[in-house]
Amino acid sequence: MTEHALLVDGIVRRFGGVRAVDGASFTVQDGSITGLIGPNGAGKTTVFNIISGFLRADGGAVTFRGRRLDGFPPHRIAQAGLVRTFQAPRILTRMSVLENLMLGGVKQPGERFALACLLGSASRREREVREEAMAVLDLLRLTHLAPAYAGTLSGGQRKLLELGRALMAAPRLLLLDEPLAGVAPALADQLLDHVGTLRKHRGMTILIIEHDMEAVMSICDWVVAMDQGRVIASGTPRQIQTNERVIASYLGTVAAAHV
Amino acid sequence: MLNEWHMGSLLLQLIYNGLVEGAILALTGLGATLVWGIQRVANFAHGDYMTLGAYVAFLLDVTWSTNPVVAAIGTVVATAALAVGLHFILLRPLRGRGLVALSLITVGLGLVLRNALFLVAGSQPRQYAFNQTAVIDLGFVRVAPAELWTGIAAITAVPAVAAMLAWTPLGKTMRAVADNRDLAEISGIDTDGIGLYVWIVAGALAGLGGAMLALVQGTFDPNLGFNVLFLILTVVVLGGIGNAFGALLGGLVLGVVMEVSTWPPFFGGVPTQYQPVVGFVVLILLLMFRPQGILGRARVL
Amino acid sequence: MDILNPAFWVFVGVVAGIYGLLALALYVQFSMAGLPNFGHVAFMALAAYTMALLVIRADVALVWAGVAGIAAAVALGLLLGIPSVRLRANYLAIATVAGSEMIRYLSTNLNLTGGAVGSVGMLGPTHFATYTNAWQPFIESITAALRHAVGSVATTDFSMFCLVWVTLGLLLMLFRRLERSPWGRVMKAIREDEEAAASLGKHVEAYKLQALVLGGIVGGLAGILWALEIGVFSPDDFQPTLTFYAYLILILGGMNRVWAIPVGAVLFGVLYSGTRFLSFFPLSLVDTGERAYLRLLIVGLVLVLLMAVRPQGMFGKREELLLEK
Ligand SMILES: Nc1ncnc2c1ncn2[C@@H]1O[C@H](COP(=O)(O)OP(=O)(O)O)[C@@H](O)[C@H]1O
Ligand SMILES: [Mg+2]
Repeated sequence: MTEHALLVDGIVRRFGGVRAVDGASFTVQDGSITGLIGPNGAGKTTVFNIISGFLRADGGAVTFRGRRLDGFPPHRIAQAGLVRTFQAPRILTRMSVLENLMLGGVKQPGERFALACLLGSASRREREVREEAMAVLDLLRLTHLAPAYAGTLSGGQRKLLELGRALMAAPRLLLLDEPLAGVAPALADQLLDHVGTLRKHRGMTILIIEHDMEAVMSICDWVVAMDQGRVIASGTPRQIQTNERVIASYLGTVAAAHV
Repeated sequence: MLNEWHMGSLLLQLIYNGLVEGAILALTGLGATLVWGIQRVANFAHGDYMTLGAYVAFLLDVTWSTNPVVAAIGTVVATAALAVGLHFILLRPLRGRGLVALSLITVGLGLVLRNALFLVAGSQPRQYAFNQTAVIDLGFVRVAPAELWTGIAAITAVPAVAAMLAWTPLGKTMRAVADNRDLAEISGIDTDGIGLYVWIVAGALAGLGGAMLALVQGTFDPNLGFNVLFLILTVVVLGGIGNAFGALLGGLVLGVVMEVSTWPPFFGGVPTQYQPVVGFVVLILLLMFRPQGILGRARVL
Repeated sequence: MDILNPAFWVFVGVVAGIYGLLALALYVQFSMAGLPNFGHVAFMALAAYTMALLVIRADVALVWAGVAGIAAAVALGLLLGIPSVRLRANYLAIATVAGSEMIRYLSTNLNLTGGAVGSVGMLGPTHFATYTNAWQPFIESITAALRHAVGSVATTDFSMFCLVWVTLGLLLMLFRRLERSPWGRVMKAIREDEEAAASLGKHVEAYKLQALVLGGIVGGLAGILWALEIGVFSPDDFQPTLTFYAYLILILGGMNRVWAIPVGAVLFGVLYSGTRFLSFFPLSLVDTGERAYLRLLIVGLVLVLLMAVRPQGMFGKREELLLEK
């Protein structure tokens, strides 16, 4: 029997009168790539914000590898191995690309004040983190940009950098919020490849919000579809593709967009 | 018995004073909160705009002996012109530099204005041509003519400004932009062009507030506005940054709380020189329990 | 006063060094952790008052009184910081202003602190209170030692000058090292985007509190050195403008360059003190009392022009400013 990496159970979140998330439940199987889809405003990002501790749910529970996570602050959740990216990439603009990545590194004793006073930047772990970061840069083909200010990167490069930074944080479950939005097609393919590799070689579990249906269908094992704060369907990509409610919800927004 | 009656009437007097002082804080705080919310500047020169207003009023009232209404209008026009001028010459070209950078510029601006006033007008205390010893009995309180004038100014200005914010298109637009500039920008409001009107309002109210403060205090010098600057910023935060009605309410509340805290039955009465401390304690308590301000909304990601 | 008088410039150097320390304290909070503290002078004031009070009224040894002064500054940092580290930067700025104004009002009005006359009045109007009895022999012994080394230039102020600048130099080296460490990287990340830092498992609040504590320590130290340098102090020594001088020093050097602080401090010292000598025509028409206003006016003007024309300071990169959100 496969394990659940993540169990989202009936979470609710209201903003004023808007029920952004309205009792959403789904699971993410260990080692899977699960897609979270739905029209704009369906509540997908809000679900991410709740899972990662940036927002409190008004109700419901989030369980990660058998541990209740709700109520934990974001940094504790990240330390537990649940790492997210943001829909609008939040890179650290006035730090170098390399520094952005190195920040993500886990178990850095030099992040403690006393050790930092003693060692500064001279420690074995610091060298290791630098090497890890260079390896990630290599993977993302950004090596030539290592010393550049992250603020000088293009939108697509920022997405890559944010993905790389999340990888540095050694996630067991990676939450990606629209990683392909605004990324040039060639780069997007590359990114998708990475995501596939990550699962295969590092045994990472991935939950991905994405609008590009072709991409979702090609890399996901399982897809969860949301609309108006609720989960309206879940299944294999093939099942979801032919699910009438899903089609209707998308058609609805497409129709609305044409009004 | 007599003492109780005395305490009661003293309380009324304190509330009256508190409302007048609160109105000054409310009017100036309103300007500061609009500027902060819309122009993204914590204006550390706001107090000095007030001082300038007080001196223009002095010029008109004492030096040129015009009547108080003319003096008030002249003051308001002069400080609005100053605020708008500095907006176009200095602050607008530097927009987008970030809150702290712009605020530091206003610190420098305040130093320049304040010390220029010291050089030009001198450090000696000034007072307006009002009879400081006369007393007018309004039945429930007894006030000096200066207090009566500031009371009248407060009673007309605060509701007028509130009505302007609530019902005129300009007021509504300013509130929308101050409350959420990004949202307003998306909905097609000219957030840059509105700066002119924001500074007109903020400058005019600062001038009016400065003249009123000078009247209430009796005498004043070029430190007049700077001395209350931090109270004004307190009002901004009390009301929630960028929240216009919050600033009006926050100013009135702060004024009354500071005055009433000196009432003897209230823990023996806080000595008057500690009034600002009361204000800051209120602020820090509020920040602990309701950090977004009285009327502000909590921020979410 | 003579512009070539070395004693005067040594004094300017001491003041510049102490302001440099205050700027360094601000640097830790503002440039490193992104916490805009507009009431920074409160750390100086509280440390100075605590030290003087303990020496004068409780006969505590100067060293321990100094330590207690710094501890008080740290406590203030935490008191203001704990409710506000979760707040937006805007609110912290005002909370700190409120804290510092409270201290100024209280120290001006309490009998305990000597009221408006300051430290000399701490024992009431009939006694002349002093807290430097233990300090004088110490600084004189340094002066004597220095006189062996450098000859007659070694005055009391010269000893203080060395003490202040050695302290500043050591702290600068420490912070330079800290800044390049993983700890410094986390701080910088928090300054840039605290939510991004939290999403990578960094405990943002803990780091902000560390910045407040460090700023309190260095700011408190500046206050104690100031008190020892001038011998008597009053609430007027801790005007809110001092905080802005510290910002000016940071900007003069370049906001995000720790080693630019001493340069900023020296420039500020020269600017601030040098303006005393603006006695040529037509400024000679302004009498001496009024020249103080002129000085502040010029400081303000420099602040405005600098921010407008060269906001990156002497050493900053303009490019970096443009990347700011
Ligand atoms: N911070 C917020 N404040 C108010 N409303 C919000 C906030 N975040 C999201 N919402 C609302 O919640 C709904 C769901 O938004 P979101 O989760 O971003 O959708 P999605 O990511 O699926 O496009 C939308 O109606 C949005 O306007
Ligand atoms: Mg979204």
